[in-house]
Amino acid sequence: MAHYKPPVQGKLSQLVDVIVLVALTVGALFVPLWLHMAGSSKTVPAPVASPTWEALGQNAAQAKQYEALGYTPESAHDLILSRFDYSFTFGALVTMIVVIIAYYVLMLKFSEAEYRDVIAEKFGEK
Amino acid sequence: MANFDITSNVRDGMGPHGTKVGLLRVLGPAHVWALGVGIVLVGEYMGWNFAVGKGGAYAALLACWFAGILYTCVAMIDSEVTSTVAAAGGQYTQAKHIVGPLMAFNVGLYLVFAYTMLEAANAITAGYLVSVVSNMTGYAGTLDQRPFIVLVIMFLAWLNYRGVLATLTFNLVITAVAFAAIIVLFLSTSGILGGGIMQHAALFEGHELPYGWIGVLAAMHFGLWYYLGIEGTTQAAEEVRSPARALPFGTLAGIMTLLIAATLTWYVCSGVLPWEFLGDGVSGSVAPLFDTARLSGSDALVWLLGIGTLFATLASANGCINDASRAWFAMGRDKYLPAWFGAVHPKYRTPYRSILFLVPIALIFALGAPLDQVITFSILSGLLEYTFMPLNIILFRKKWPMGVIKRGYEHPFHPLPAITLLALCAITFFAVFLGYGTQLVAMIGFYIVVSLWFHFRRYRFVDRGAQFTMPWPRPQGY
Amino acid sequence: MQTWNYIEYLAWGLSILLGLYMVVDWVRTDTTYPEDVLTSSREGELEAMTEETFKG
Repeated sequence: MAHYKPPVQGKLSQLVDVIVLVALTVGALFVPLWLHMAGSSKTVPAPVASPTWEALGQNAAQAKQYEALGYTPESAHDLILSRFDYSFTFGALVTMIVVIIAYYVLMLKFSEAEYRDVIAEKFGEK
Repeated sequence: MANFDITSNVRDGMGPHGTKVGLLRVLGPAHVWALGVGIVLVGEYMGWNFAVGKGGAYAALLACWFAGILYTCVAMIDSEVTSTVAAAGGQYTQAKHIVGPLMAFNVGLYLVFAYTMLEAANAITAGYLVSVVSNMTGYAGTLDQRPFIVLVIMFLAWLNYRGVLATLTFNLVITAVAFAAIIVLFLSTSGILGGGIMQHAALFEGHELPYGWIGVLAAMHFGLWYYLGIEGTTQAAEEVRSPARALPFGTLAGIMTLLIAATLTWYVCSGVLPWEFLGDGVSGSVAPLFDTARLSGSDALVWLLGIGTLFATLASANGCINDASRAWFAMGRDKYLPAWFGAVHPKYRTPYRSILFLVPIALIFALGAPLDQVITFSILSGLLEYTFMPLNIILFRKKWPMGVIKRGYEHPFHPLPAITLLALCAITFFAVFLGYGTQLVAMIGFYIVVSLWFHFRRYRFVDRGAQFTMPWPRPQGY
Repeated sequence: MQTWNYIEYLAWGLSILLGLYMVVDWVRTDTTYPEDVLTSSREGELEAMTEETFKG
């Protein structure tokens, strides 16, 4: 294989590459935020009307610790009763599995092709 | 230092390939330990308790141990590869030699992302701590946390800029203090010294597994937070005096320290704080060890753990700046990123342009994004990296079987650790999917886009054969 | 309690100072040394040196 001679990159072109990469990075972080898709929110599935420690499912020892932390049954209500929702659809799970596996397969395939070039140039053709 | 000859080839870090200014080889095994544990220990002071929220206290303990197994595999695999591929860039350089350029580019980005996000999370926590202190000392108004967040990042970047030895010696001291604080808290609250205040049985009653067994799976997501970043020890490879010995030693000592710290942390916090409070890291317990100390009734413990929390966040942010800049630098040096970043400061011998460049990036994340979002991105980048590691070691052993090249450390039971790691990563992907599936897909979407950008645009600037720098024989099968 | 307001300003001030220090030093370094010296670092020097010693 002929020895590959990479072009020398000018200052301006380097700057453009940096800007592209930063834009993509910031985009990956903030686009989900703007679309309100980020974060898993907890909800209170079964609120209690006039909460007491017993109604919130707390025994004496647990209630005592909450009081030591400065909570009352009212102020601790949301904290104690909010739960994640772990229900999911089969389709979503399959989508995720496909995306992850596709990503790694893609990665390994492209890398393998590039790696063969590297080895051929470093050690010469067999 | 004004008149030294930077072209002298008797200085260390110089070599036959024409390096005139290289990174300085000054670190010992203790610095490696401090780098690894320093980054991670903040995970015991904040963040791990989200695992309690996702599945309850028992689930968090199981997640702690399963994640411990995951990271023991990571540390073993990492120790073997990095004691053989000792270069700045760590897993990036490993991937470049073992899997291929595109994988290496992705791994390099995982590293920079995981560390820069973690650095931002630490700065946010440090800012929060200062506001707590201001309230404790009687300040009535609302403290503006931004100057303190900025100061943390600026100060640590400055320290990193000025040289690696001072940076990691600083890390060694504050990490040791933060670790000692956990031990002291355990000894003084568990009943070993003086009266114990642990009441696990009473606090767990009725809330053993609030989500059932699926909660145990879900807790794995934040179980990673107990140890996330231990793999960063490899970034120091080019600055350690004897990498083949110091890196495995520092890394394996680090994972043992963390297994102890993580289990003790779970024990004291879950024995004092009710799980709903402990598990909510936003409106409940932001700093669980600190909250445990507050309920102990001892002012000395409150101060000790307050200082421990602050030190842990500083040590972590410090290590993150160190690691992210090494990875960025290594990619610049190979022209995976603009070559401008591959510069070393002639006096301080640090990758100063990379350090400087990552400062505004960290500031954007720290000032502009919410904490749990930042943590999730950090964990996801880490997870993608751990999934790469088993592929890496399997290919490494296949292309260069034992005895073909000299390895500084050989991990036992291959391929069992690799398979275990892969299985645990699959479980963790599912755990992230429970609740954070959208981010997972968004994140992978990002990596696919930058991969295409790399393959079709950026790779043209990379010298093909020259990027393979290890003096190894031709890999088998090529 | 005005103290904390002063501490806020102090933190801003220190941040700016540290930032300035780095930027000034960066510009000075880049103008003092030629680019090929600054970016002369190569990966794998230790391994290369070990090899040369072996061949010695």
